[in-house]
Order: sequence, then structure tokens, then C-alpha cells
Amino acid sequence: MKVDVQSLGTFNELAHEGAQEATGSLAQMTGMEAEVEVTKISLVDRTDVGEELGSDQFVGVSFDFEGALAGETVLAFDEPSKETITEALVPGDEADEAMARSSVEEIGNIMMSGFIDGWADYLGATIDHSPPTYIEREGADVLPAAPAGSERDHIFVFRSQVEWVDETICFYIYMLPEYDSLTGLLGEHADAESDAIPIEKLETFNRMTRSGTQTAAENLGMMAGVDVEAEVTRISFAPIEDVPKQVGTETYVGTVVEFTGLPSGFLLVLFDEPSAINVAEALMPVDPDGEGLTDQHTAAIEELGNIMTSGFVDGWANVLQQSVEHTPPRLVHDMGRAIIDPLAAQLGQHQRHAFIIDSRMQTESLAFESEILALPNEAELRQALQELQVDRADQTEADVEQIF
Amino acid sequence: MADVLIADDSEFMRNLLREILEEDHEIVGEVENGVEAVEVFKEQQPDLVMMDIVMPIRDGIEATDEIKSDNPGAHVIMCTSVGQEEKMKEAVKAGADGYITKPFQKPSVMEAIQDVVPS
Repeated sequence: MKVDVQSLGTFNELAHEGAQEATGSLAQMTGMEAEVEVTKISLVDRTDVGEELGSDQFVGVSFDFEGALAGETVLAFDEPSKETITEALVPGDEADEAMARSSVEEIGNIMMSGFIDGWADYLGATIDHSPPTYIEREGADVLPAAPAGSERDHIFVFRSQVEWVDETICFYIYMLPEYDSLTGLLGEHADAESDAIPIEKLETFNRMTRSGTQTAAENLGMMAGVDVEAEVTRISFAPIEDVPKQVGTETYVGTVVEFTGLPSGFLLVLFDEPSAINVAEALMPVDPDGEGLTDQHTAAIEELGNIMTSGFVDGWANVLQQSVEHTPPRLVHDMGRAIIDPLAAQLGQHQRHAFIIDSRMQTESLAFESEILALPNEAELRQALQELQVDRADQTEADVEQIF
Repeated sequence: MADVLIADDSEFMRNLLREILEEDHEIVGEVENGVEAVEVFKEQQPDLVMMDIVMPIRDGIEATDEIKSDNPGAHVIMCTSVGQEEKMKEAVKAGADGYITKPFQKPSVMEAIQDVVPS
């Protein structure tokens, strides 16, 4: 089964329009203005679905759908958002628990109908959905188990993040189509064989990326003297203008390198400021000269970024039996989106959509989180995947002893 | 005790290498790119160069190639974060005598030096 970039783009746009439709319904009912921040398709390991929800308590309204496309979809609010929405729909003291629940359920019903209808219209077919099911659970548990009937360890997830203007409301729309149902559709709508990617290779590449993240985590762990775990790895596909929204508006410290070879692109290793300070101090043999982020900290982060970058890309190079060159790391210290904006603009000169490779790692023994973000040239990544030999996918490490 | 030149664009890594090496070896120079590495090598004629690969202006493989072309008896250990097989082959072709991947610990550095410059 193959998937072409144009179909991915079309389907992503459908999900985005569906999310806008759903958001419009909610805005109309509550009078609160909202916008869909970002919609992306991700190919993820099924155990990683919904990891970004953390351990917060969520309220969800879920549906099964079947027909031209089959699967499950969930609208998930955090608890404070639920209260704000309930207050808007049922003002004052009228909102007892049963009423609150009913109002959320109904609003979910209306929103998700809007979400699904766009798909049905595009496909020129019917998609039926079940009545809504109300759920209250922690983090990723609010999402359904990955669709049954597939032995695959990777699934496609469409995720829209919606933010309210002037309100502290944030909610997510997840659509988890059944694997065979979606890939069948993608196959049917593939326009150009020339840019199609075998899905198996995309999955293999995701596994290689996880391996690269683990190597980068081990490198970091060895330098800092702690055990670091690779937490999540996913390949997403989004319009180029949405790429900067992949990271938040908080300030990050890290490194950017431009890599050349197959594929070319950019690779970022980012730490939030407190994490950067904690990690750098774990690497320093002596106490820092001053408070906050000093030159000593940034020097340590720069080298750490260099080593983590190599740990991440070397596996690709060895499996592809190619050399991936990269520039020396450039230190960045800015708001997340400001760091990524110019890189996305540069990629956007040649492509309308981008594959985003996103990995995260953390450890319990040191307060830090780190994110590795790769933005490869889309056409070159496709070529690299065409050349990828799946049976070489585990040959990520080179044998120094054998070569020297 | 060997005279060692350290070539790495990272100040952090130069400091780390110096701390590892200075107890047993003489550090005769620290440089930040391949051009400086070749220049200081010519001036100091060290027993060993610990050479990073990814450096600005000129990378470590090109610098190694020039040093070894002019001085076939020179000893160069690549000391790099790059763990790519193709890159290792390029290093061999340029004449590198050893290859250590970062992050490293003192025993692996000392062992690599012992292999290349026996005391």
C-alpha cells in the first residue's frame, strides 16, 4: 500500500476544515470566538497516542463512525474548559452535574457531525456515526484504544488543536481511523504514482527515528550521568505554515543544524530554559560563574546539541548507506515559534507541506524535557524512503572496530 | 607522555578533553577549526591530534587529509559525535589512525591513544 503526498495534503485539509466546522458550531452556541490552531496527520506507535495530553483530567465525547471511512473520533476538553463551556451554555446555577454532562454531550454531537460531514461530502459517500458517549478520564485514557482489527503497531491519527480567543479553553479533536479503511482511501485517491511512499517504509522510518532518539537519549544520559528515556516519536504531516505551531510560545534554548545529503533539511534540539540550565549544570565539571543561563551553560548546550544531533541522524545515514553531513550547531535562544519560523520559510520555498519528525525525552532523576525536531526536505525524504531497504532498518550503528 | 593538539570548535569539549588528557600528556595547542589545526600542527609538530569532524571553515577530515599528506608519520584520532559508517570510511581514507565517538569517557580516550601512540 502506498500513500502519496497530495492525498495526505487533501486529507489533512479535510480534517482541518472539519475541525473548523466543529469549532464554528461551538462558537455559535457559546458566543465565544475560537480558531483551529493546527491540524496534522501523524503516524505514531499506538502506545504513544494522546501522550501530549499528559496526566490532566479530561472530559471527552466519543463516537464510532463507519461507512466510506471507519474508526473513532473524540472531542476532548480539559476540566476547566468544560466548566467554561457549561457556564456559557447553561448560565448561572442551573447547571447541575447531569445538565452539564448533557450539554457537553450535545455540543460534542453537533461539533462532531460537522467534522464527519465534510469527509462524507468529499468522498461522495455516507459516513454514519454512533450516538455520543460521554467519558471523564485522565490524559490519553480519554481516547479510545487504537482501532481494533489490526495487528499493526503504528496507526494514523488526525489531531486538531483548537484555542479560544480571550478564553483559557483548549480542546482537541482526535480522529483515529481504522488503518485499513484509511490506507484504502489514501490508495484510491493517490494521484501520482511518482510521489507515492509505501506505508511500510514510513513505518520503518518511524521505528528508525525512535532508535535515533534512543541513541540521542543515551548520549545525553552518558554525559549527564542519568538514565534518559526516549518518550515519543512521531512523523507528522502538516501544511508548511503550521510548522512553527509545532512548538509552543515559551522560550527555548538549543541548537539548530542544517543537514545535507539525502534528505537535506534542519534538525533542532530544544530545551525549555529551566531544563537547559539543569542539563548544562549536570554536564559541567564545576559550578557555573553566575545565576541563570550563563555562557558556560550555553557552551555545554551547544556541544550537547551537536552530540545529540549526530546520535539522531547517524542511524539514518548508516541504514541508507549514505553520508549525512551537517553544519556545526548554531545556538538558539528564543520563543519556540520564532526559532522555527525562518526554517519553515526556507523549506516553504520548495514545498507546500512538510513532514515533521518529532521526538521527546525526559528523565525522572533530572528535571528536564528535551525535544528533537527534524524538518526534512519533503521531496528528498520521499526519495530516501524509496531507497530505504526495510531489511537494513536495524543496521543503525557503524562498527568502528571493523573499519579502523 | 605525548604532545597533543586538540581541534574542536566546542569550548566545552576542548575543556573536557584537556581535563582528561593533561595528567598524562602535554597539551601543545587548542584550535577551533581545520585551518587552524593544520597551521598549529605545522608549528608544533605534535605527536597526536585529537580532531573533531564537524567544524566551521574547514572540517576535520579535510584537515586530517592535509596533515597526513604532508606528514605521513603524524598521528590523528578523530574525536567526533559523528557515528556514520560512510564518514568513518572517509576518515580512514584521509589517513586517520583512530576514531572515538562522543560522548566518551576517559578510559576509551586513553585506550585509543595507547593504540595509536604507544608509550
